[in-house]
Amino acid sequence: MTPSFDEDELGPESLSPSVVDGDPGRTGQAEDETEEAEVEAPRSRAPLSEAEVAAKIRSLEARLDSMIGHADEAHAPTVPAPIVPPAPPSRLSTRNVTAEADATVFDTARELLSSEFYLRKWGRLGMRNRSEEVDDFGFDPVYEQRVQPLFDFLYERYFRVECEGVTGIPAEGRCLLVANHSGTLPYDGMMIKTAVKREHPQHRDVRWLAEDFLFHFPFLGSFTNRIGAVRACQENAERLLQQESLTAVFPEGVKGIGKLFRERYQLQRFGRGGFIRLSLRTRTPIIPVAVVGAEETNPMLFRIDYLSRALGIPYIPVTPTFPLLGPLGLLPLPTKWRIHFGELVSFDDYGPEAADDEMLVGRLADQVRESIQSALAAAVRKRASVWLG
Amino acid sequence: MAAGNLTWTAAPRGHVVALTGARSFLGANLVGLLEEDDRVRRVVALDVEPPHVRGPKTRAYALDLTDPKADARLAEVLAAERVDTLVHLAFLASPSYATAWAHELESVGTRHAMVAARHAEVRKVVLWSQTILYGAHPTNPNFLTERHPLRASRKEAFFADKVEAEAEVSRFGSRIPGSVVTILRTAPLLGPTVENYLTRYLSHRLVPTMMGFDPLLQFVHEIDALAAFKLAVDRDFPGVFNIVADGVLPLTTVIKLAGRIALPIPHPIAETATSLGWMAQIADAPPSFLKYLRFLCVADGKKAWDTMGFRPAYTTREALLEFSSAQRLRDVHLLHEPTA
Repeated sequence: MTPSFDEDELGPESLSPSVVDGDPGRTGQAEDETEEAEVEAPRSRAPLSEAEVAAKIRSLEARLDSMIGHADEAHAPTVPAPIVPPAPPSRLSTRNVTAEADATVFDTARELLSSEFYLRKWGRLGMRNRSEEVDDFGFDPVYEQRVQPLFDFLYERYFRVECEGVTGIPAEGRCLLVANHSGTLPYDGMMIKTAVKREHPQHRDVRWLAEDFLFHFPFLGSFTNRIGAVRACQENAERLLQQESLTAVFPEGVKGIGKLFRERYQLQRFGRGGFIRLSLRTRTPIIPVAVVGAEETNPMLFRIDYLSRALGIPYIPVTPTFPLLGPLGLLPLPTKWRIHFGELVSFDDYGPEAADDEMLVGRLADQVRESIQSALAAAVRKRASVWLG
Repeated sequence: MAAGNLTWTAAPRGHVVALTGARSFLGANLVGLLEEDDRVRRVVALDVEPPHVRGPKTRAYALDLTDPKADARLAEVLAAERVDTLVHLAFLASPSYATAWAHELESVGTRHAMVAARHAEVRKVVLWSQTILYGAHPTNPNFLTERHPLRASRKEAFFADKVEAEAEVSRFGSRIPGSVVTILRTAPLLGPTVENYLTRYLSHRLVPTMMGFDPLLQFVHEIDALAAFKLAVDRDFPGVFNIVADGVLPLTTVIKLAGRIALPIPHPIAETATSLGWMAQIADAPPSFLKYLRFLCVADGKKAWDTMGFRPAYTTREALLEFSSAQRLRDVHLLHEPTA
């Protein structure tokens, strides 16, 4: 029974006094300090005169200067570090000049001859358009900055996108943008993203859910990932919304981008209403979005299904230009685009358990679908020309 | 020593923890951790050879799980030592050319271990598994939860054996009432001392990648993985848990941060070359591992965070930097410590 005796008798006295005494004491002190600080803060803030502030700034400056001095001292030990220097800017610059003078041509040659120099250059070169950290879904802000000019060109010059109702998007918090999908190659996600980034007062970032098949392919998948697209599935969408992001979804999916030219602006089946279930479960408001113009960018005359199975893509498009002109034929036609953001729809009245009610989900999905369809029809009726709008 | 042992056996308090694969990286370090824990009465180290790390509480037994009589031998040891927790770590960290032997060790060996555990009435089993068993697929969600099926290619012995081992251990848990089964699926381990297929991959000057693919990768630092096992031994957390670090990094960034040069190869060519290399026993890994260089296989550590209170100290990026700082010394032969 010795071990149990040890634990019971000696434990609290000999083993843990440091813990028992130290920890609560420390936390107690900390609490006292914070309380004092809280009490004193408003008192001391009021009578703080300008002279006092200036004095504080001066002392901080002096500390900074001495820190700089120490750093320099480590670099060039012959110069004594001044304790409280008055910090004339000229002092720093003269020292820099002498340091440069010291760096002779031999030093430069030695540096150029070291492999370290080239490795460093190589490393910088490799990371020049990539950020060192990405978010959970692989969004790379530096990379996005690099490709932004391309999107700006497409947005401004090529598709001459006009935006309506973009201010209806909440300034913060989660929100689902539900849009029609079209255009053989999905440019609409990128254009919605660019539209919100440029036109919205808060310049919010849009994340959009992209089809699976992109991620089977080299280059396409990693490119769309880096610019902010996420593979479309419930888990990803839920995670995005839990991070309070503005998420665009295309419930038509592959059927949407695979629409034939004669089916343009006719919304396909809205999946199985997954976006409604998502919205109900995460209590996210929905904004219906109608994209007009995108459906004519790559007018698809036929779809070849039987060959595509072997290639692992959903279909092979046949457009007036595509197989004829080779890859060039996949360039979108310069149609005039209009993106219409609708009114915010909130399903907060239904609880999260309503997501299991298939009938309700179907009805709500139809409701959203109808609103997009009518916005599309109105916009198409209004426009005079596909090219000029 | 004998007298001391007698008093210890007489004491009712404290766990007796047995570890299979006690010479492996996780095993040897866990022996050291458990040795320092007052709540652990004895550590039973089981491996073909005794571990390097030993202390007064540790008793080492020679056990070869590939031996057909291993179950009887193990049951005998477990019963004699009155083991209440079995930590099963006898798994290969890297793929082996000897697939038949690996199958005996991992799949059949786990069966032996579970038979023995049942016989010796072991209360708790902790199993080491890996998140690569989820498989890399373009249809994976970005964060795989524990509910996701294990979709790694069953044609690859390295994965199939581990999936079978997991099934075996879950069967043990469901058959025996009152037993606790914890399965810890760790992300690829990375750190200054661990060695596995990943550290070998990242130690090449030219690191092959698949042209046009840049999947997000996730690691876990070796210390965090050990901490998770310690947590699972200390307290009861029945179920499966993903043990992963926070954050993800694209493969190209990983290679650059490790100070290596990426060599993009079109994947059909790489697959052919790797299968030839694997047959000739010069490749590090079989061609099925190339999928992890193309598609996503990242797990969600939320369950371990919420249930176990597992807080990884290192992010994926920090784990990588820890590894590469040690690797840099190894590159110039300044670090000779044996890796486990």
